[in-house]
Amino acid sequence: MEAYIYNLVNLIAIYSILAVTLNFIMGYAGIYSLAHAVFFGLGAYTSSWVAQNVSPSIFVSYPAAMVAAGAVSLFLALPALRVRGEYFVAASLGLQVLSVTIYSEWKGFTGGIGGVLAIPPVDVLGWEVFRPGQFAILSVAVLVLVVLLTTALVRSSFGRNLRAIRDSESAAASFGKNVPMIKTISVVISAGLAALAGALYASYLSFINVESFTLDTSVLIMAIVIIGGTGTVAGPIVGAAILLILPSVISYFEFLPQTEIGSLQQIIYGLGMTLLMIFRPGGLVGRRPGR
Amino acid sequence: MSSTTPQLGEPLMQIRNLDKSFGGVKAVDNVTMDLRAGIVTTLVGPNGAGKTTFFNLITGNLARDGGEVTWLGRDIAGIKPHRIARAGVMRTYQDLRLFDGMTVWENVLNATEYGALPLPMSSSARAERRDRIERVLERTGLADKRDTRALDLAYAERKFLSMARIMATRARLWLLDEPASGLDPNSYERFLTILREDVAGGVTVCIIEHNLDIVIGISDRIAFLDRGKLLADGDPQSVLNDPELARIYFGDRE
Repeated sequence: MEAYIYNLVNLIAIYSILAVTLNFIMGYAGIYSLAHAVFFGLGAYTSSWVAQNVSPSIFVSYPAAMVAAGAVSLFLALPALRVRGEYFVAASLGLQVLSVTIYSEWKGFTGGIGGVLAIPPVDVLGWEVFRPGQFAILSVAVLVLVVLLTTALVRSSFGRNLRAIRDSESAAASFGKNVPMIKTISVVISAGLAALAGALYASYLSFINVESFTLDTSVLIMAIVIIGGTGTVAGPIVGAAILLILPSVISYFEFLPQTEIGSLQQIIYGLGMTLLMIFRPGGLVGRRPGR
Repeated sequence: MSSTTPQLGEPLMQIRNLDKSFGGVKAVDNVTMDLRAGIVTTLVGPNGAGKTTFFNLITGNLARDGGEVTWLGRDIAGIKPHRIARAGVMRTYQDLRLFDGMTVWENVLNATEYGALPLPMSSSARAERRDRIERVLERTGLADKRDTRALDLAYAERKFLSMARIMATRARLWLLDEPASGLDPNSYERFLTILREDVAGGVTVCIIEHNLDIVIGISDRIAFLDRGKLLADGDPQSVLNDPELARIYFGDRE
């Protein structure tokens, strides 16, 4: 039971990092990306490769993952500078589909469909962290760091600039803001921090494959943000906790037909999200809309 | 930004033979004029005369087809809007374009924040900025609304927030697109007071305005645009008393 709880804490922390970093661009800059799982995956593959071939130290493999994701995110930033709203969603969808193909085919780096096996546990100052309980400390610590960093940024002039761009790009430019530069920086930061979730995921499970980094995951992360509350600090974490705990809650009720749990879960998600958007479009944590 | 203080009446922005067409229709047609230091120039003319297009051209929001625009002696062709803004030319929009999800305070504060990344600021600079914003909110009557989201303001308050944003900057040229339209008489007075004070403080203003009380109350010079052409450019009395212009303006053609 204890191991089960720790496992859940780890998964919630990892998905919270993904949701917090997506919320950073979605909730503040108004950049709706369906490619967030790409950076999750890139972080996982890069840290795995570095851990196996260079060093499993957290100070080597994790930063390498961030740098790789930050660099590749420039491909996403490029369309983000040119187009808005639904056009950008389409562009990010393209990047997501393209990346899954690359992850499936580039066997030397990703192990293809089979994935990467025997990823060494992460080394933190000489300690190999792999037990769920120990790892929970690490994953929660990384989550706290990500939340502190993004919150500090959002509350600074950088965050105000992001919100100004979201509300009126032309007015932001008219007040001297370099809109493409600010958007690019926000996308790079978001992707770089999302890669941390990937690195945690890889060193925690010691096995990864492309199935974890598909469009389904990107949609799940977006759902977590929307359900929790777009543009809030706590929303993405609340959303991640609810969406990851819900399956176990459902299977806890023994009178439910256990073979139908999967579809039951989908029905609850779908219904819950629809009702939420009707009655609380700001999400569970979000404030009610203005007039 | 240049540190020299120009003399009153010295041309800050020089516009020569400015042209812009949209699909064969000349929106701005060979316009030449100077915007001079400390002078309030009012652009008048019927709807569709090209006034807002003129603003969009000199702020870099639109690319011109021909002509030349210089700011403090420097050609600003092809310069991005945010660079022109940083050089001291700022504008308001007719449809306001407030940062709706942000509070009044944040709107005004953010208008002064140019850098992409947050830079450390000395506490005295921070205090100076806070005082400047306080003063702007008091003058625009928004001090009590500082924590209200722009979205939740009343119409006149939104107009004043649009003004407050530009007032908090250190812009030397303000381009105001119908800042007083739809205001009640009390708000007019407040608006005129603000404008007179800031012009006395060294700001140069070019304003698009329809309300004749405001036009007469504030203008040093009136430029009359119709169908993209500059028909008159001179002191308010001579332009307003021109019967031909009045006929165009009050629209009894056709």
